[in-house]
Amino acid sequence: MSRSASKGLWANIMLNIKNLHVKLEDEDKVILRGVDLTVEAGKVHAIMGPNGSGKSTLSYVLSGRDGYEVTDGSAELEGEELLDMDPEERAAAGLFLAFQYPVEIPGVGNMTFLRTALNAQRKARGEEEVSAGDFLKLVREKAASLKIDADMMKRPVNVGFSGGEKKRNEILQMALLEPKMCILDETDSGLDVDAMKLVADGVNALRSEGRGFLVITHYQRLLDHIKPDVVHIMANGRIVLTGGPELALEVEKNGYTDILAGVE
Amino acid sequence: MMALAQTRLDQLSARIAGLHFPSTGWQGKARGDALSRLGEVGLPAARDEYWRYTAPAKLTAAEVKADVSKGEVAFDETDALRVVFVDGVFDAAASDDLAMDGLEIVRLADAVTDIHWAAEIYGQLETKGQTPVVRPLATLATAFATDGLLIRVTGKATRPVHVVYIGKSDTSDAILHHCVMLEKGAEMTLLESGDAAARFTSNLEVDVAEEARFHHVRLQGRNADRRVNTHIFARIAEQSTFKSFTASINGTMTRNEAVLDIVGDDAIAHVAGATVGDGRDFHNDDTVFITHAAERCESRQVYKKVLKNGATGVFQGKILVKPGAQKTDGYQISQSLLLDGDSQFLAKPELEIYADDVKCSHGSTSGAIDDTALFYLRSRGVPLRRAQSLLVLAFLAEALSEIEDEALAEDLRLRLEDWLDRHEG
Amino acid sequence: MALEENLSELEVREGVDRETIETVHAMSGKYKHGWETEIEMEFAPKGLNEDIVRLISAKNDEPEWLTEWRLAAYRRWVEMTEPTWAMVDYPEIDYQDIYYYAKPKSMEVKPKSLDEVDPKLLATYAKLGIPLKEQALLAGVEGAEPARPVAVDAVFDSVSVGTTFQAELAKAGVIFCSISEAVREHPELVKKYLGSVVPQSDNFFATLNAAVFSDGSFVYIPEGVKCPMELSTYFRINAENTGQFERTLIVAEKGSYVSYLEGCTAPKRDTNQLHAAVVELVILEDAEIKYSTVQNWFPGDENGKGGIYNFVTKRADCRGDRAKVMWTQVETGSAITWKYPSCILRGNESQGEFYSIAIANNAQQADTGTKMIHLGKNTRSRIVSKGISAGKAQNTYRGQVTMHPKAQNSRNYTQCDSLLIGDQCGAHTVPYIEVKNNSSRVEHEATTSKVDDDQLFYCRSRGMDEEEAVALVVNGFCKEVLQALPMEFAMEAQALVAISLEGSVG
Repeated sequence: MSRSASKGLWANIMLNIKNLHVKLEDEDKVILRGVDLTVEAGKVHAIMGPNGSGKSTLSYVLSGRDGYEVTDGSAELEGEELLDMDPEERAAAGLFLAFQYPVEIPGVGNMTFLRTALNAQRKARGEEEVSAGDFLKLVREKAASLKIDADMMKRPVNVGFSGGEKKRNEILQMALLEPKMCILDETDSGLDVDAMKLVADGVNALRSEGRGFLVITHYQRLLDHIKPDVVHIMANGRIVLTGGPELALEVEKNGYTDILAGVE
Repeated sequence: MMALAQTRLDQLSARIAGLHFPSTGWQGKARGDALSRLGEVGLPAARDEYWRYTAPAKLTAAEVKADVSKGEVAFDETDALRVVFVDGVFDAAASDDLAMDGLEIVRLADAVTDIHWAAEIYGQLETKGQTPVVRPLATLATAFATDGLLIRVTGKATRPVHVVYIGKSDTSDAILHHCVMLEKGAEMTLLESGDAAARFTSNLEVDVAEEARFHHVRLQGRNADRRVNTHIFARIAEQSTFKSFTASINGTMTRNEAVLDIVGDDAIAHVAGATVGDGRDFHNDDTVFITHAAERCESRQVYKKVLKNGATGVFQGKILVKPGAQKTDGYQISQSLLLDGDSQFLAKPELEIYADDVKCSHGSTSGAIDDTALFYLRSRGVPLRRAQSLLVLAFLAEALSEIEDEALAEDLRLRLEDWLDRHEG
Repeated sequence: MALEENLSELEVREGVDRETIETVHAMSGKYKHGWETEIEMEFAPKGLNEDIVRLISAKNDEPEWLTEWRLAAYRRWVEMTEPTWAMVDYPEIDYQDIYYYAKPKSMEVKPKSLDEVDPKLLATYAKLGIPLKEQALLAGVEGAEPARPVAVDAVFDSVSVGTTFQAELAKAGVIFCSISEAVREHPELVKKYLGSVVPQSDNFFATLNAAVFSDGSFVYIPEGVKCPMELSTYFRINAENTGQFERTLIVAEKGSYVSYLEGCTAPKRDTNQLHAAVVELVILEDAEIKYSTVQNWFPGDENGKGGIYNFVTKRADCRGDRAKVMWTQVETGSAITWKYPSCILRGNESQGEFYSIAIANNAQQADTGTKMIHLGKNTRSRIVSKGISAGKAQNTYRGQVTMHPKAQNSRNYTQCDSLLIGDQCGAHTVPYIEVKNNSSRVEHEATTSKVDDDQLFYCRSRGMDEEEAVALVVNGFCKEVLQALPMEFAMEAQALVAISLEGSVG
């Protein structure tokens, strides 16, 4: 089993995280203690780890959420430093985070939200905005495959959505915005098997040569549906173990405690 | 309370004299009554509980001056009968023909006959609205109105009446008094917009008969140093509907009072407002008093204020449910979004309830833009400024949704959005 | 929808056990504590003037500074006018027709121990329902051990008659005594803190209290000490036409903790009695005070005759960072209640909580609530108020939440619910919300509704009579506040809620 990230083996590196150290902005609490991770275009990487290992923090730091302080290290998207960018610049650059807890925004219609986001990104990239008509067609098409009905599109963003609906709405955004690098933060949490399958199908449909995925999950079950190329184990703010899909099965079988004991 | 200064009294009286209003008959009597009532109560003073959060000085000052050049006339896309007032006086040349199916419009100055329907309304609803709290500035407007409209609605008005206020003089002190009477089953929409004057004081008395429907939408536009004090007094009868919405943008001092009396069963009364203000000189006060004196009635108050750079927003709202007003459904929400650290929101949302089978609630919140929502939008690529204005508009949306006519709502929404675009950063 | 479904959907709020209902049955009398102990009283003459103030001071053997302090308050008070903003309506009070000092004659010579206490007084405690476990202790029964220790300082009219557990408290360094004793034994502490939270001239009633307070409790918890037991004072008003003006001062030094219980009962009278108390809490860094009150003073009869006029000023000053205070009150008695226990959140990260049940039945009038004044950064406050109106009563919640410009990142949450039983009563809500910075969040919610017919019907279909059903549903409505009370009080309070509503239905 390879115990180090397989750097350099792949020509097309999408996300490259080096020695990332992060603490909470307001407290002296260190969360990430030197994360190294490389995700290649066309590949699906999974990060697994016990609660509190820093998985979600990694996703928030990459997408630029307030409240964290990067004390060392870097994170590049296609060779561009992410950590200097505002959240919207990261999104325009092609980074997408599917939230563990998608945010409810009362008063903002889902359609308005999606169209504003899409056009803002297109504008930032110097592309033309999508017309209302084209946009409607595009949304309908993408929504249908995720079984998102018209009613969900009319309601305010995520307000009154079930857990499954919220997660499907995240995948719909992913499908519309066509990011280069997708991070899925505990996308399986709160989903039953059917809902999880629907979400996984949506993700699988988006897998392509030019796109990288980082799937963060506590359980192996999501990885039955979204098959990863590489699996990392995170503990105490570091990637401690890297391997193939079999590593996820090992976690499932033996639990984190045993595996981590083997590392230390 | 504070006595009205003799100089101001003389000045107001002289102006009225110059306008040749009937000194006898119902109008003369109503004005005379108001003057003596005003003498008894005097003007509001800073120590009055009802003026706890708003200093009345700017509204009671003897002289005013403001740049009135930026007057904003709204609803230009809406086909309406336009009635224009310049510095508070009717401008026939600029106004449409006042004839319209379903309603009659008479200028206050022209209502000279002793027998007139307005005798039952002019100053009468205002008088009733003086208890339990006195509203001297409304009494002042009854006594010293420089002009106004008397509108009698007999059927379903085919299009809205749009009262447009144009300010010409930077010392204009306009006092308007309108009366609207809706007969049984009648319907009308009243629109008001434009920066009337350096100081604009108005009364709007509305008598809504059984099964009638009254809609009112107004814009108080964007001159920064204008002052506004308005009162709405409404009597709302059985199975009728009263809805009023106010968008208030800028202005140094705005106090809008609505005094709604629900006297018939199964009636509906809604008042709502959206306010945006910027700067330490901005002060906006919505004061509402809704009395439920009948069964199975519904009232709603929805007020939203967006404040920045030291702006102050005030809300005083009261639901009074009288004994026997069973099955009352009263709802009230007042919220402010403070865009920076200096602004303030002061609220006194009251319930006074003397009937048991009721459902009344109020909510009030104040805070900054939700960081989580802001981050979510940005993580989807929406730039910070745009994300902020989206969230501000979303915040105002609940109030705007109180306007039934979508075109009118959209007109105001665009104006608020425009304000946000100009005032970002 | 079928009735069956309606019922199955119906959720009667749990919160009262069988015991409450049984207690209601057991306490069938209209006012349980309406009797009078015949103890010889020593009165100062009726009325108020500088001589009376001097006399009260002299009777308590007070030092010169305190006499002067009282006189200064009196002089201010003469200039003040009685406030009229509360939604309460009562005949004018003749302040010259009230006794400002009364103490049991048998107390003239201070008892050396509880054994020397007048047996009639001890019988009073028994009738009062002080018989938690400490009644035996108060009576000095040897070997009596409470399941959970509570120290009692009983105030019988104007003089504190005895305190228990002095020894154990002394061992912990806790001072728990009457305020008159504190003036003698710990003058430096009293001088430092008295009037520092509620200034001498704070308001009409507090100023009156400052002039004439005759006794009350003093608590001092030294730095780092967690008071080993809950402290408790029972107040009663006994003599006719005797104003009760007790003054309580609690000081919690850095890192200390105390839970203080205050219970009040008063016998039945035909003429209204005046009560104007002041409670001051000083809370320093990392300290915490929990102050719980159950007030069931005589509310007057069905027509409002008699009953206590209760005008109380209670305030907590969270002076240090991370200081915490929690006011919990169950107000079921008095003809007039005028009371707003408040929190000044001065220290950064300090916290204030206010949990209140106010029940007004028959002709009672209650105007009560709280003030949360946020001055420090990251301060938190929470208000949960449950008002119940029945009969011809008027019940008002009046509250103020202020976020000062410097109180960055602070939070307030207010939930204020009113319940109406019958169509002759009133329920009112008068909140003042003042937000002067934008990093703080203030949320206020209030509802008013009648007692739920479906819930009542559900209870009755299970065999309860209407009164039981109301007691059950109302207790459910109050549950959040009842849970905030210490255990001993919670049970009494539940029963009290039920008793207070007797006669409100049917």
